Amino acid sequence: MSQSKDIIYGLWNDEEDLLRAVKVAVGDHLEIMDVYTPFPIHGLDPLLGLSESRLHIAGFIYGSLGTLTAFLGMSWIFTKDWPIIFGGKPHWAVPSFIPITFELTVLFAAIGMVVTFYLINGLGPGVVNPTIDLRITDDKFCIAFDKSEVDVGQVESFLKNNGASEIHSKTI
Amino acid sequence: MTYSFNGKNKTWLTAGIAVGLLCMALTWFGDDDFHTRFWSNFLHNSVFFTGIALMAGFFMTASITAWAGWYVVFKRVWESISLYLMVGIPLMLIVGLGVLLHWNHLYHWSDQSILDPNVPEKFDAILYGKKGFLNTTWYIGGTLLLGGIWIFILNKIRTLSLKEDREGTDGFKKHYGVRKWAAIFLPFAGFGSAAMVWQWVMSVDAHWYSTLFAWYCGASWFVSMISLTIIIILFLKSKGYYQNVTTEHFHDLGKFLFAFSIFWAYLWFSQYMLIWYANVGEETVYFKERITNYPTLFYLNLGINFVAPFFILMRNDTKRKMGSLAFTAGLVLFGHWLDFFLMLKPGILHTAHAAAGHGEHSAEAGHGAHDAAAHGAEHAVSHFEAGFTFPGLLELGTFIGFLCLFIFFVLNMLSKAPLTGDNDPYIEESIHHHT
Repeated sequence: MSQSKDIIYGLWNDEEDLLRAVKVAVGDHLEIMDVYTPFPIHGLDPLLGLSESRLHIAGFIYGSLGTLTAFLGMSWIFTKDWPIIFGGKPHWAVPSFIPITFELTVLFAAIGMVVTFYLINGLGPGVVNPTIDLRITDDKFCIAFDKSEVDVGQVESFLKNNGASEIHSKTI
Repeated sequence: MTYSFNGKNKTWLTAGIAVGLLCMALTWFGDDDFHTRFWSNFLHNSVFFTGIALMAGFFMTASITAWAGWYVVFKRVWESISLYLMVGIPLMLIVGLGVLLHWNHLYHWSDQSILDPNVPEKFDAILYGKKGFLNTTWYIGGTLLLGGIWIFILNKIRTLSLKEDREGTDGFKKHYGVRKWAAIFLPFAGFGSAAMVWQWVMSVDAHWYSTLFAWYCGASWFVSMISLTIIIILFLKSKGYYQNVTTEHFHDLGKFLFAFSIFWAYLWFSQYMLIWYANVGEETVYFKERITNYPTLFYLNLGINFVAPFFILMRNDTKRKMGSLAFTAGLVLFGHWLDFFLMLKPGILHTAHAAAGHGEHSAEAGHGAHDAAAHGAEHAVSHFEAGFTFPGLLELGTFIGFLCLFIFFVLNMLSKAPLTGDNDPYIEESIHHHT
């Protein structure tokens, strides 16, 4: 786990106010540590300069692997390894492979993306991630700053002037 | 803002319609005795665009019933497309009249001489069993009745929608009216389209049937409808209209294009695999004919309508970039036109051969049901026949003619009312739509 941080954060009651505040903070070159919200907010990612997730590229690769595994696997089994005649069909009966190929594609993509997502985010069974304030999972919107990266006085005045309903400091 | 349908666009579209008429005339004069190529092209294009109009009505009413708001900025486009039924249904009635008066030999079941049990050498037991539904009364009556109901309800919706625009919502009264008619329309469109697909399209292979054919055909229409919607809105946008239709709306249309291409492929495959697996002669004849004599079209169909949109539109950004979206829409529209070509032409060619044939029909008919499979083999086309085995230039010209007629009608309809209905209760949601 990473070392503990001293942070200062403000809580907002409304996502529109939060978006305006983030705009001001970015304009003032305040180094935002992170923004926490109960639900995804449209337009927040580009404001924070977050690039598009590459998870779907990984998903495509996993899916393709699933396609190949299923199709090549069945082709090998039914033509070379253990050829059996089913219903008078040829050994290499492509139409009957397609449903299973589709299913393994979905399975590989789904499991692969979940595992990748958990690994990248340091999640998994038994991991406890500190929550800054429990109310950010309910109805509060939070902008957090790392005290070692910003001028604390400037951040405090920013929080006061931009509609934060509460201001707290914490060590996580 | 109201679209002004100016002279230049009208000239171009009229020229396109003229090309179509010229091609149809050329087809007529270079045709066989029954004018099979002419009539099959006429049926092919009429059914294709009529179905597109119906699907626009269906999707619009489904969205209204589901309280969807995202499409409302461009709802006039779907209203206009759906009203093309006023042209499409009469065109289908011309086909029906042709069947009734034996101007054409598109449908095997319209041959009365095979339905008489007292003439066993010509008697066709399968078609005799189906004659309660496959007959001219149902064909013309169904077209008139269902087509009439569709047009009536869609006109009601259009009228209420325009009224709402002029007079305001006054307590959402007009919107509730639209909702009521939309809900009434849905069963007529859903069940009715299946009944008409069986008559219009599936019955060209009169012995054969497939229970999911109506959905397969409907999915094909649906994808074409989304393609045409994208193309028409992009055209209007390039002329400076519909600036309130944003990338977000196109993203959603692109998703529908993507999703329903997959849905179409799913139905295609479901139909194919069950028939392939069961391997019953009466059913496999449909695919045997197409794989043997139309292999290029058969596989091209899957490539254009499934593989291409699947890989092109998979990414987020290709749905948001107008170039890739317009390209895919055009490709898929043409692809589904080919799909209908492949649904109709092989069966029609059989019927034409049987009608022009030399009594070969009676030779096999006595055996009744068991001969459905043999039927395919017997009339199999082993040689190339322009306009049947593959679409020729005349088919493309006819397609252009019908497409221009369709777009002419839609643009003309659009020019009659403001492009965006400002009083629709969902208008704000639609303007601020964000995917």
